[in-house]
Amino acid sequence: MEYLPNFKTHRPSTAAEAVKFFAESDEPRYLAGGTDLVVNVRRGIETPQTMIDLTGVEEMTGISDAGGGLRIGGATVLREIAESPIVRERYAAVAEAAGEVAGPTHRDYGTLGGNLFLDTRCLYYNQSEWWRASNDYCLKKAGEVCHVAPSGKRCFAAFSGDVAPALLVHEAEVELAGPGGTRRVPLQDIYRNDGLDHLATQPGELLVAVYLPASTAGIPSTYVKSRVRGSIDFPLAGVAVRLQRDGADVSDLVVALTAVNPYPHFVKGMDAHVGKPLDDEALDAIRDTVRTQAKPMQTTTVAPWYRRRVVGALARRLVSKLYEAQG
Amino acid sequence: MNDMGPVQTIGVPTPLVDGPEKVTGRAMFAADYCVADSLVGRILRSPVAHAKVKKVDVSKAREIPGVKAVLTGEDCNQTFGVLPIAQNEYPLAKYRVRYRGEPIAAVAAVDVATAQKALDAITFEYEELPAYFTAEEARAEDAIDLHEERPGNIERDVHYDLGDVEDGFAKADLVMEEEYQCAEIAQVQSEPHATYAEYDTQRDKLTVWPSTQVPFYVHLMLERTLEMEKSRIRVIKPQLGGGFGCRTETLNVELICAMLARAAGGRVGLVVSREETFITHRGRPETAVKMKIGMRADGKLLAAQSECVQRGGGYSGYGIVTILYAGSMLYGIYDIEAIKFDGYRVLTNMPPPGAMRGHGTVNMRFAFEDLMDRMATKLGLDPFAVRRANLLKAPTFTFNDLMVNSYGLDECLDWVEEASGWKDRKGKLPPGKGLGMACSHYVSGASKPKHWTGEPHATVNLKVDFDGSVTLLTGAAEIGQGSSTMATQCVAEVLGVDMGRVHTISSDSAITPKDNGSYSSRVTYMVGNAAVDAANNLKNVLTEAAARKLEVPPDQVECLGEVYRAGTQDEGLTFDEVVMEALRDTGTITVKGTFTTLPESQGGKKYRGAAIGGTMAFSYAAQVVEVTVDPDTAEISVDKVWVAHDCGKALNPLSVEGQVQGSVWMGMGQAMTEGTRYHDGLGITGNMLDYRVPTIVESPPIEVKIVEAEDPHGPFGAKEAGEGSLSGFLPALTAAVADAIGVRAADLPLTPDVLLKLMEDKARADKKAAAQDSAEVA
Repeated sequence: MEYLPNFKTHRPSTAAEAVKFFAESDEPRYLAGGTDLVVNVRRGIETPQTMIDLTGVEEMTGISDAGGGLRIGGATVLREIAESPIVRERYAAVAEAAGEVAGPTHRDYGTLGGNLFLDTRCLYYNQSEWWRASNDYCLKKAGEVCHVAPSGKRCFAAFSGDVAPALLVHEAEVELAGPGGTRRVPLQDIYRNDGLDHLATQPGELLVAVYLPASTAGIPSTYVKSRVRGSIDFPLAGVAVRLQRDGADVSDLVVALTAVNPYPHFVKGMDAHVGKPLDDEALDAIRDTVRTQAKPMQTTTVAPWYRRRVVGALARRLVSKLYEAQG
Repeated sequence: MNDMGPVQTIGVPTPLVDGPEKVTGRAMFAADYCVADSLVGRILRSPVAHAKVKKVDVSKAREIPGVKAVLTGEDCNQTFGVLPIAQNEYPLAKYRVRYRGEPIAAVAAVDVATAQKALDAITFEYEELPAYFTAEEARAEDAIDLHEERPGNIERDVHYDLGDVEDGFAKADLVMEEEYQCAEIAQVQSEPHATYAEYDTQRDKLTVWPSTQVPFYVHLMLERTLEMEKSRIRVIKPQLGGGFGCRTETLNVELICAMLARAAGGRVGLVVSREETFITHRGRPETAVKMKIGMRADGKLLAAQSECVQRGGGYSGYGIVTILYAGSMLYGIYDIEAIKFDGYRVLTNMPPPGAMRGHGTVNMRFAFEDLMDRMATKLGLDPFAVRRANLLKAPTFTFNDLMVNSYGLDECLDWVEEASGWKDRKGKLPPGKGLGMACSHYVSGASKPKHWTGEPHATVNLKVDFDGSVTLLTGAAEIGQGSSTMATQCVAEVLGVDMGRVHTISSDSAITPKDNGSYSSRVTYMVGNAAVDAANNLKNVLTEAAARKLEVPPDQVECLGEVYRAGTQDEGLTFDEVVMEALRDTGTITVKGTFTTLPESQGGKKYRGAAIGGTMAFSYAAQVVEVTVDPDTAEISVDKVWVAHDCGKALNPLSVEGQVQGSVWMGMGQAMTEGTRYHDGLGITGNMLDYRVPTIVESPPIEVKIVEAEDPHGPFGAKEAGEGSLSGFLPALTAAVADAIGVRAADLPLTPDVLLKLMEDKARADKKAAAQDSAEVA
């Protein structure tokens, strides 16, 4: 591990105070669990002069009922979400996804907000300062060329958070606090299709809480990720599915992906399977649709074609599993 | 008194003697020696793979306040290297850099930020040279030489042709040939490289605490590169977070730290990052193997022919020995005479590999055993039957003159076959599940040390004083494998005393006798024997003292460990009383024990380099691996491993079980998930996320059977336990996958993407074949 440079820290007790510190500080960054950010700081990818530690902000921790839905504080640790009976009961995929992040010690520190605001990842980016300098840096940071697609002018670093797709299929909203006040937006609105700059939030904006609606509570859902090892690894591909069955017909089907695009991706075209029974042909069609919309690039050591193959296979498997379980 | 007897420690499961310190965090590793006022060392590394060094300008760095030393290649005129015939590496690049990340300058400063600022202020001017990242590129006709004395970038080519290979193939019922490719792997020991060094300017003395497996080599290389009298150097090995061969050679980190301490005139800690540990490398080389075997219809091996190409790095390191092991260790496990071997160790612009666990043998054994399994399938034979058709009978010498005095492979085979339910389950498992098996072996120490001086292979000193304790002094480097516990057990057993009476001090050049270090699984056999010899010598001294006191001839003294007596009616003398008598006139007792290998164990002369592979004893292992393969994702789950390891007498069964499980597990990493990757010579997997060592989640239950084919010359009959079970996992896995889904893999690691490709290729081929069949029928 590389050494940790010096920086100042603040430890606010309210979100408003945190936003104020951010506005007043020199090159600030919000810090929650630090499982992603501190590694990037050690690697010289991030060079904050000030860290605003969110672990003392009470309104940002904990899970509570919100009119049949749930409010989950942005600084709630992933382990708490994974183990929460109420999350498991109402939004199974969310608990499963939180439980799949990295390893047990990461989940003790890593937070929901951190996982949603996770920087995009790439083999040519998540390296030490010496490494990146020796490789003439890259498009995402300090360089001119994307080493994944040298002829292009786009960055293909992959969004690799596990929890986002699970929240997407349950139609989560996020509460953001920033210099301009507080706003609440659908989760997908904070992302954009650009590995270089995948967050559409304003500078200084802070994820205070995630809201899960009552309307999707209790609808069967699940999440699974592909990875080489059973722990630690970021997803090579991740799939969340929400599926309600009514008799033989599918009455509700939503699929979202992670780690195969620069943002967590809602799979389009799933409505075509609603109002019909699910047969092998439909399952194959779902698999193929997912494969078409996944755009993994060589951002990990595992071949992109494999990630595309497997994301389709996993989507098919999960859809089938949820459908059969309600039969 | 009649119930009194010697305390038994050998064969008793014994927790490691240094366990409490490690478990409680009190153990001192090299980085723990860095105190508040010691300086921080840091290394500037080359951004390019191959270049002439034109200028390393450190003038600005030297001016930064807080910078106490700045060094470049100009500050060291001597090369280093583990093999006396291949010392071509400078601690800091001098005329050329030969791999990306090679050290070019180093600083010592008051803190890490200042040290980094100094590195940032250094400019490196160079003239780039063509760089070669594969063995093929480096061997190309127009490639320039990395080292003048190694024309064609061949570090060493090895050729032997023993027996009549062509005749063997002609007589064989089945001849098969296959090409294998094994990725480069790294040890990823838990502790990144670290050294602490202290230079005493008043006395011109240097003390170094390196994270090494061989303090003796570090001592020699410090003498050489610092051009300092070795009597002024003291090397103390701290506790180590593993080695697995990575730290057998002296590493540049250790030398640079000492150079910085001397230049700064003080104390320097140099603790490198995980990435730098990967860059320093010394793992297992990327290897291409062509294997051809001729087999009779009953499974008897008649001939084998193989070519092995190892991608070495920018410097020689262990290269010559690794390629020699690859050839010689084709023997020693099965009864086969005719083998032809062509080996090539190639220099490339990559970090140098080294002597990783199972040194030289693993990738060859993988190829050999995998091909045996394919041939068994083709001949309709059970893989166990094929092995049993080829067993050796000890005592014997192999056709390349390796000495085999004990051989428990047959018993290993019997146990894993039975325990895994092979006969009932093989071929009858549900779809996607499979069983595979393979065998392996390893040396119990290289019989000919690389630094041949004529000294014994191991020396152990014992000291006994007024307090009645036995101090055991050994140079054997305890690196977590349990060598200090082993030596303690040997001495306690011979004396028949409780282990608590023995204090073991290891690896301090000012205190302990020199040892050749922890490599080639030599320590139990050699140091164990030296410890037994020393304890016997001590026992003689004590027995003679007891005889004097009891007024009987020494041969009438009975040693019961804590009591020495003359006849069963005698009340006898306590150990303390015997010691006091022994100290009379002579004072503190010091005795010594040594061990030297037999000349006939030191390998043959049938080809150049044939001594490599020579050993006093081989360990043997067989294992069965059970897997499940996911048909959609091609993920392999290893459900269970049964492994039997013949280590001769198991001195400490607890430790043996751990070593065997660790070996199997390390083999699993290589077989399934591990492998370095580079981008134009720049390692892209230099961290523990992208270099995928298995986690506990995917680690299977590993059931271990200790087989004890006792060796006539081993300490209490013991042989090695720490390496022999590794290589068998690789072919057992590929065989299990073949059994599960009918796909044969020849490239490792068998990650899900590699396997899915093979599965899809097979599905396409099957479809095509089916289409052709139906076309023919039509």
